[in-house]
Amino acid sequence: MSAPVHASADLAAATGANRLARLRHFDLAGLVITLATLIVAALWAFPLYWGLVTTFKPEYLVVRPVVHLWPEHFTVENYVHALLETKIGLWYLNSLITSGAVTAIVVVMAASAGYAISQLNFPGRRIFWWMILASFMIPIQALIVNHFILMSQFRVINTLTGVVLPQLVAPVTVIIYKQFFDSVPKDFREAAVIDGANDFQLLFRIYLPMNWGITTALAIITFISAWNLFLWPFLAISSEDKMNITVGITQVHDAFGVQYARDLAVAMLAALPVAVVYLIFQRRVTQAIMLSAGIKG
Amino acid sequence: MSAGNGPAPHVELQRVTKRYGAVTAISDLSLAVEKGSFTALLGPSGCGKSTLLRMIAGLEAITAGRCFIDGADVTDVPPAQRRIAMVFQSYALYPHMTVRQNIAFSLSIARAPRKIQEERTREAARILQLEPYLDRRPAELSGGQRQRVAIGRALVRKPEVFLFDEPLSNLDAKLRVQMRLELAKLHADLGTTMIYVTHDQTEAMTLADRIVVLDKGMISQVGSPLELYNRPDNKFVAAFIGSPSMNFFNVDVSSESGGAADVVLPGGRTTRVRLRGASAVAPPVELGVRPEHLVLVDPNDPACAFGGSVRIVEHLGNATLLYVDTPAGQLIVQGEGNLETKSGQPVGLTLSANHVHLFGASDATL
Repeated sequence: MSAPVHASADLAAATGANRLARLRHFDLAGLVITLATLIVAALWAFPLYWGLVTTFKPEYLVVRPVVHLWPEHFTVENYVHALLETKIGLWYLNSLITSGAVTAIVVVMAASAGYAISQLNFPGRRIFWWMILASFMIPIQALIVNHFILMSQFRVINTLTGVVLPQLVAPVTVIIYKQFFDSVPKDFREAAVIDGANDFQLLFRIYLPMNWGITTALAIITFISAWNLFLWPFLAISSEDKMNITVGITQVHDAFGVQYARDLAVAMLAALPVAVVYLIFQRRVTQAIMLSAGIKG
Repeated sequence: MSAGNGPAPHVELQRVTKRYGAVTAISDLSLAVEKGSFTALLGPSGCGKSTLLRMIAGLEAITAGRCFIDGADVTDVPPAQRRIAMVFQSYALYPHMTVRQNIAFSLSIARAPRKIQEERTREAARILQLEPYLDRRPAELSGGQRQRVAIGRALVRKPEVFLFDEPLSNLDAKLRVQMRLELAKLHADLGTTMIYVTHDQTEAMTLADRIVVLDKGMISQVGSPLELYNRPDNKFVAAFIGSPSMNFFNVDVSSESGGAADVVLPGGRTTRVRLRGASAVAPPVELGVRPEHLVLVDPNDPACAFGGSVRIVEHLGNATLLYVDTPAGQLIVQGEGNLETKSGQPVGLTLSANHVHLFGASDATL
């Protein structure tokens, strides 16, 4: 009989030792940091959650002074309204056209400019480079009046072209491309030159394909910035048919004034493509942010 | 090497100079390379050998002078039109292209028909044993395979002249020997003119039929590997060619007659050395002797030129290197592989008068 008693005592001792060992490995600092991170993340995410939940509430619940973390009455009426009663489809299309055009043109222009400044020897190269660096130091808001006057002189105010043109000034993209091209060993260029490649072929067959990651990252971040841009399209466009989605949101009101739930539903729909793009290309977007953060210091 | 009365040179540089601002990299240099030859440009870092090759390739503008390929003045002709192909030290393989695309790149740029591209690529891949790797990317290849792709890329262009810029430097020692053999075979098979830049004298000696030794942007000597080894024109070539390097020490010349000089060695003994150069014998004079031309003898041997004591012994297997302290300073002696000499042991050294070299004040061979 004594043998099982000993065995259970041993077992208890062993379990106690295990618990002690586990306690010794208990990472208090790690737990505190994790908790703090979770709290910050919750604080950050709450407005997003609140916005999303609000879109599923009827308007009378939204304006009630009581806080409901979950809708008492669940409705999709706000989305139905946004999709059927507003020009959201057209605004989407306008956003898609302008953001797509900005992305395509910026990438091609910035890659070409970066290549020229990095690889070609031509008079005024240094001045060009300084001009690009200087333009990078001026915030877009400071130029917005000039842009407006210039675009109106070009007679492109209230057109999609007018929305696109000022966004083509993308010094950061040029700088990132230049830095990348600077880092490519000159042997690649010389080997291709001996093989008979011209500068156009060098750029589009060697330099850019060598690292599509940079172009993809820059294209995504340019697209997202163009999609999210509000101030300039808001100033440049006055007719509802030519608005992009960010400006279109401001048009969602009726005889009763602003309808918060509907506004938020449109905002959610406006943010959806960007969120999807971000989720699909998460790594590339992070890479792009790191690249431009490196430039911006 | 120079044109002389022989066949017209295939590649010729006439009094070329290359300056980078105030720095002169190549100074008034003339060189002629015969068709079908394998010429090595050999020299230490910064001697201008790569600059010279890049001037032939057209990658560096020539400050003064002319460059001719196959009789045509190509000084101002772009690289692609010089009918040359170049293999870079880094291989410069395009990382986003497969081996097939890398090899066919020049043909694709020239808009050659797809059939021709495929045929030539296959042919190059067959010669270089790259057929199983045609669909791989450079990152998936070993160093030796990458090197072969770089050569393949040059091969498909069917160039008049192959230019190699230290192509084996990035390979490990074993692979370097293997690729050296493959390059020698390739040259034997193709018979195309090849110009090869290296700082490795073994590569130059084993591959080239003509070596151009460069020093500070000027040609020090041009000759066959054995000419450079046995009859160096100056102290620089004598010291640069051969491993371990030649031993040098100061001597006095007591008399000179009949194309030979009586040389008083450190320690007082005299030996007679045949004079080869045109320079007048005037002090200071240095004597040069290769480690394998110093022979170990008994210290009491009457033929002994110096006595000395062994400081360090290095067994290489096929040879033994001894560092011997002598009245002439520390000399390196190369003996047989199974030499059983001990550190601290007194030894005598003799030198063969046929294998010693005298150098005058300007370092030229006397």
